[in-house]
Amino acid sequence: MSQSSGLDIRYPIGGLFAVLGLLLTGYGLATAGDAEAYERSLFVNVNLWWGLVMLLFGAAMLWSARRGWGRAAARPAAEDPEGREMMER
Amino acid sequence: MPTDPVTRLASIDYLVMALYFLAVLGVGWGLRRLTRTSTDFFLSGRSLPAWITGLAFISANLGAQEVIGMGASGAKYGIMTGHFYWVGAIPAMVFVGLFMMPFYYGSRARSVPEYLRLRFDEKTRTLNAVSFAVMTIFSSGVSMYAMGKLFNLLLGWSFDVSIMVAAVIVLSYVFLGGLTSAIYNEVLQFFLIVFGFIPLVALGLYAIGGWDGLSARLAEVATARGLPAGAYTHSWTYLDDPSRNPIGVEWFGLVMGLGFVLSFGYWCTDFLVVQRAMAADSMSAARRTPLIAAVPKMLFPFLVILPGMIALAFGAGGEGLIPAKLGLDGTPLLDSSGAVVLDYDLATPMMLISLFPSGMLGLGLTALLASFMSGMAGNVTAFNTVWTYDIYQSHIRRDASDAHYLWMGRAATVGGIALSVAAAYVASTFNNIMDLLQLVFAFVNAPLVATFALGMFGRRATGHGALAGLLAGTAAAAIHHGLSLPAGMHAGIKGGYLGLLHTYRSELAQTFWTAIVAWTTCFVVTILVSLLTRPRPAEELRGLVYSLTPRPREENLPWHSRPGVLAVVVLVLTAGLNLLFW
Repeated sequence: MSQSSGLDIRYPIGGLFAVLGLLLTGYGLATAGDAEAYERSLFVNVNLWWGLVMLLFGAAMLWSARRGWGRAAARPAAEDPEGREMMER
Repeated sequence: MPTDPVTRLASIDYLVMALYFLAVLGVGWGLRRLTRTSTDFFLSGRSLPAWITGLAFISANLGAQEVIGMGASGAKYGIMTGHFYWVGAIPAMVFVGLFMMPFYYGSRARSVPEYLRLRFDEKTRTLNAVSFAVMTIFSSGVSMYAMGKLFNLLLGWSFDVSIMVAAVIVLSYVFLGGLTSAIYNEVLQFFLIVFGFIPLVALGLYAIGGWDGLSARLAEVATARGLPAGAYTHSWTYLDDPSRNPIGVEWFGLVMGLGFVLSFGYWCTDFLVVQRAMAADSMSAARRTPLIAAVPKMLFPFLVILPGMIALAFGAGGEGLIPAKLGLDGTPLLDSSGAVVLDYDLATPMMLISLFPSGMLGLGLTALLASFMSGMAGNVTAFNTVWTYDIYQSHIRRDASDAHYLWMGRAATVGGIALSVAAAYVASTFNNIMDLLQLVFAFVNAPLVATFALGMFGRRATGHGALAGLLAGTAAAAIHHGLSLPAGMHAGIKGGYLGLLHTYRSELAQTFWTAIVAWTTCFVVTILVSLLTRPRPAEELRGLVYSLTPRPREENLPWHSRPGVLAVVVLVLTAGLNLLFW
């Protein structure tokens, strides 16, 4: 896959989800056992569990961006032949 | 009308929102250097991989209409709302990817109206461009108005401040990074919406005893309303007779009106979504864009419709979750039979508030904000392109430098957002004006599919034919609407202003049939007028018309990247979902 000079979209997404995940996990830990806070969610500590899921997703995004898998950025504007030559013939 | 807000947020909730704002602004900032030419600004330099444009394709459409509106419809019509996806959106998305994208992308048109100029003529393009530009401004205005009203009601935020903050953030990132920035943020917003709504649906289902518990409760609601017990949990079973399903329509009106005319009209011809595919980096990526988008799209009913259905079920035999709709004086509205009218638009937001604790509530509300902002940015980026290329460049200043058009695009972004804000305030003073505008949009949009069908797949249609067909279709829609009424409505904005020939069981049934009438009229008139006018020589239509354009080749692609293969997979899965909820 060609590497590109643009911003890899996985960095902002991964970064946001990792930070939000950490925040919610931390908040979930801090409020664990607070029955009143979790009465609404049927006593499920959603902050903790969903925070962990988001953290994992964010980390996976960041990791795959670092490894440079696939392409997830704008290619610098260049004429791309595929599909175009068809029109010119 | 100052009333007490429904809930208050904790600092953690505000922190989650602030982080989201930082992220979207950061994306705009990070992309500012990539925007050097007008093609970069309006078409992302045609440089993005298919999975990014694919996710942006659905996200641009994920505005208030989708998240709040589909929840509201879920609470009104149950799982039948899924038809908007499983009969409506998906087949149309497959069609645009397989058959129409080669012309949009291959003709090098920079917008949908520009394709109409290449295929037909300048006047057809101008009609389409102007109606589209007005439509996007008002859609984004309505979206802003809905957002301001919602956050004022739920959290007591000031209407003005909510609108200004959203407007300034969207303005900043579109201004800096153009379409690329809008698309990147749409992908980010897509994930936020998904991650905000999955736990909502999971908790809701857990609270109500899973699908079985939901069906049992909804059966009670259905029988109480004189419908068959399964009316809210089956999508096809009760479509044989309009009196047996909550939408009040029969299968023909639904499949033709919604599935064919309205959905193809939106997904195949609306530049707002097509623009995302045009930003793809190759023909095959452009064709794959709607097909990739179709996969999450077919699962969206579970995220956006189920919360509404669960909210409705919570109300079975007790205190409902959905509050009454309030009139301007703050008292609950009553319908003609004296029953309280429910504010279905609050179904999904009330679910968020009643199930999420602090922390997750911040995430859920951020997901709502993200949906409003992606819808707004989608409209603004489509507007600035159509304004600059199809109106400004073709009618006001033809031969300016590229730098000038780039400047104009940025100016149009500012102007477009300013006009949207103005439209939001107009909407807040005249409640009916929004109904009126939606109506006009429906009149203008429905005939378009016929124009594209005849223009892309036949070479005989002419520019005069297209224009006459579009105008006649719009007029026919207005006449049909003026002669019919949904049951229980008074003549006026809902129809019947020209007399009353037919009463539909519901507003949606009337909408579907209005679309069918508009399409048919446009189809017939375009053919008739085209036959009377001189066709363009075949030479000029190469690359614009199906029979005169070589098929895009797929053999050099690996099987999993071939649009044809993807299309089959998507259609099989969609058929499966239809059967599962039959």
